[in-house]
Amino acid sequence: MWSHPIISFKRGKRIFFNFEGRLVEAYEGESIITALYAIGVTTFSWSPKFKRPRGAFCMIGKCSSCLSTVDRVPNTRICIEPVREGVFIERQRELPFISAERPLLNDQVEKAEAAVDLLIIGGGPAGLHAALTASTLGVKVALVDEGTRLGGQLIKQTHKFFGARNYYGGVRGFEIAEKLSKKIEGSSNILVYRNATAYGFFHEGVGVIARHPKPMNIVFKPRAVIVCTGAMERGLEFENNDLPGIMGAGGAQTLMNQYGVKPGDKALVVGSGNVGLIVSYQLLQAGVEVRAIVEITRSIGGWFVHAAKVVRLGVPIYLGHSIVKAIGSRHVEEAVVQAFDDQMNPIPGTEKRFNVDLVLLAVGLMPDYTILSQAGCIMKWIPELGGLVPLRTMYLETSIPGLYVAGDAAGIEEATTAFIEGEVAAISAAEKLGYANAHLLRKREELLNFLWNEYRQACVIERARVGKLKATVSEEEMEEYWERSIANGLGLPRSPYTLQ
Amino acid sequence: MIIGGGSVGLMISYYLLKKGVKSIVIERKYPGSGNTYKCATGIRASFTSKEHIALMKRSIELWSELRDELGVFYERSGYLWLLSREEDLRTFKTYVSFQNELGIPTKIIDLSEVKCLAPTIVIKDLLAAVYDPLAGKASPFDLILQSWRLLVEKGCKVLAGVEAKKILLSKKGILGVETSAGFIESSTVVLATAYDTVKLLEPLNISVPIEPVPKHAFITEAYRDLFKPLIIDWTTSSYIVQTPHGNFLVGSEIPERPSDKLLNRLEFLRKASKVWTKYFPWMKEAYLLRYWTGYYDMTPDHHPIIGPLDDLEGLYIAAGFSGHGFMMSPSVGEVIADWIAEGRPRVPEALNLSMSRFKKGKLIKEIAVFG
Repeated sequence: MWSHPIISFKRGKRIFFNFEGRLVEAYEGESIITALYAIGVTTFSWSPKFKRPRGAFCMIGKCSSCLSTVDRVPNTRICIEPVREGVFIERQRELPFISAERPLLNDQVEKAEAAVDLLIIGGGPAGLHAALTASTLGVKVALVDEGTRLGGQLIKQTHKFFGARNYYGGVRGFEIAEKLSKKIEGSSNILVYRNATAYGFFHEGVGVIARHPKPMNIVFKPRAVIVCTGAMERGLEFENNDLPGIMGAGGAQTLMNQYGVKPGDKALVVGSGNVGLIVSYQLLQAGVEVRAIVEITRSIGGWFVHAAKVVRLGVPIYLGHSIVKAIGSRHVEEAVVQAFDDQMNPIPGTEKRFNVDLVLLAVGLMPDYTILSQAGCIMKWIPELGGLVPLRTMYLETSIPGLYVAGDAAGIEEATTAFIEGEVAAISAAEKLGYANAHLLRKREELLNFLWNEYRQACVIERARVGKLKATVSEEEMEEYWERSIANGLGLPRSPYTLQ
Repeated sequence: MIIGGGSVGLMISYYLLKKGVKSIVIERKYPGSGNTYKCATGIRASFTSKEHIALMKRSIELWSELRDELGVFYERSGYLWLLSREEDLRTFKTYVSFQNELGIPTKIIDLSEVKCLAPTIVIKDLLAAVYDPLAGKASPFDLILQSWRLLVEKGCKVLAGVEAKKILLSKKGILGVETSAGFIESSTVVLATAYDTVKLLEPLNISVPIEPVPKHAFITEAYRDLFKPLIIDWTTSSYIVQTPHGNFLVGSEIPERPSDKLLNRLEFLRKASKVWTKYFPWMKEAYLLRYWTGYYDMTPDHHPIIGPLDDLEGLYIAAGFSGHGFMMSPSVGEVIADWIAEGRPRVPEALNLSMSRFKKGKLIKEIAVFG
């Protein structure tokens, strides 16, 4: 174990588990995949058809590369499954066999119904601020999050946030998460469900599976809902892009910053947006050598300060370059990079080879829109926001009255706007629930004014601003969209079952 | 011109092409997006009317051809009806002898045979089962994508994102169709438009007796092959089938009224899970991937409306399949192509299925509308 300059890792109790017949040491509170990475396992499944080895990609339960058999339950995402004493893990070398001749875990699931004012799905920056804002107004809140710890992607951010008024300027991401978690624990108006998944909107309510401490199937009957499900990382097309050792930049952050496990020794980072730049710096902090950052466009995508930091530490940034091929039999051994012309075609003869065991893709995020789409929100494809997002009003209400969206799920931006949107959505929900007053609505106007007329005026946020403008409609326009969709034969929910 | 790019519309275009007739298909969203991609994928001829049986026997022959010609996944892996009540067993004995007379090899089997066909099944509440070895399943995605590709290759047009607005008439017959992409001229128009047939024919004062009834289905993640047949639990009106990818596709009846909105209901998930975890306890640990809703387009006698309209030359209907559109699409495609190119269908029983039967009061009766 090396010593990290920023984070002091608080390890849980030492436990042992069974990995394919091998006794493996782990710390309580880790995910299974982390414990395996720590002993050098980097292949977590094989593709069913061609038996290609697959590594981990997202590390936050959003992709399918780590589906494993846990205590003989197949297709379990071990990146969000906490490790337990004595648990038996097997990797899946083909489609798993599911015929069980043993007591079934599922028999212990308890059922419950819960009436709350406001259900918040997702406990990242948007969800945490939404919960705190609503709870201080007296709203009874249930907060559901898939992670073991609240904070979403904040918990793996070691850099200091830039000062935006009172939005944690100078504070490191994981410290913000700790601070907000404490506040939330202290609030008597917020019920927190960790390791819990909201699996859908139904006529009868919103279904949530809570896994720990005991398995529960809860049907929430909220009067309003805010969806803050965040985003997932994009992949990139190139030869052998599924080799173990190629992962999302956020996946590597989870390993090294949340759990203190080195994702590799020598890395190539693809993409020079803020995520690519910050992860490069964090890799250096974690003792990983960064051989290069490649960027297909002609300019650096992220903030200048972040770029300056890594360049100062000797990391070359190749503009107009991208990865075209990974080489290796069971793990990445080499990455081939090529120069690209203005039409984004590779230029022959410009190949460079990098001897690396880690390729991090920082090529953009897409909103985790699935539950919004399932709920029946009118969705729109907006490239500037990373893909499909729900149409919403200025006050962040979607086409379903009483259903709000905030943060990256509303379109990719960054943490500061997620905090602000969380607050705006909470005030809007509180207004709908009858908790509003003139002071509160004035505060919402101030927040929106700051967000649109100051914060989003920065040139690096220009793209997101353009996208958010496209996704934001007036209440009258929302009504028109809705009528048009109905005319096209879509059976869209109008009045939410949740609101009387 | 064919309105509707589902399995029925594309198969009509496909069999017209085989007769040397090039057609144009228009589809409001994208091919398959209506009912085809939502279907249970089962294919069987074990029905209880001679019309259904005749059409489906032909369809089963054609499904094999489609597998060879287009590479569509199709296998004769059977249907299995689970029976747990004495009265159901008696009824099914009647069905089986009727089907056997018409050449469909269904048979009553005992529980040890059920165990062979579905090794992990818990049989304790069962009496017996009916097995149809001629039945099977196919991939709706293959059928749509492969036939679409071939049609385009051979010079037919399949226009996605084009919606039919109005059928325009002249004194002699049909002039063409006004669409969201402008007027398309055609003296022959086929409506393969499921429930929308009602709306398209309303302005022509033709009322079509189709009612949409909401249905629900879910699919799990992929697992290794556990059983081949499509299994129906007759008592609870539920089905389960494993797709070629390994996912379990499950449906189950819950109370729904015609024309009800499509709503996601926990009631469905609860019932479907209860039924199938009883037979297959391991299902408790299968992860659900998706849940969707769709319509069965029901006619008064649960048989499709196929064929020309008596009083409007050039206009054909292929709709109201009452839950069997995908499995019937090859023979319906062929029958409509026959009618257009040669004036009569090769399966004579199809003559009983035109719109005029409702006027004449010659409805067809079938009890086993399922799957």
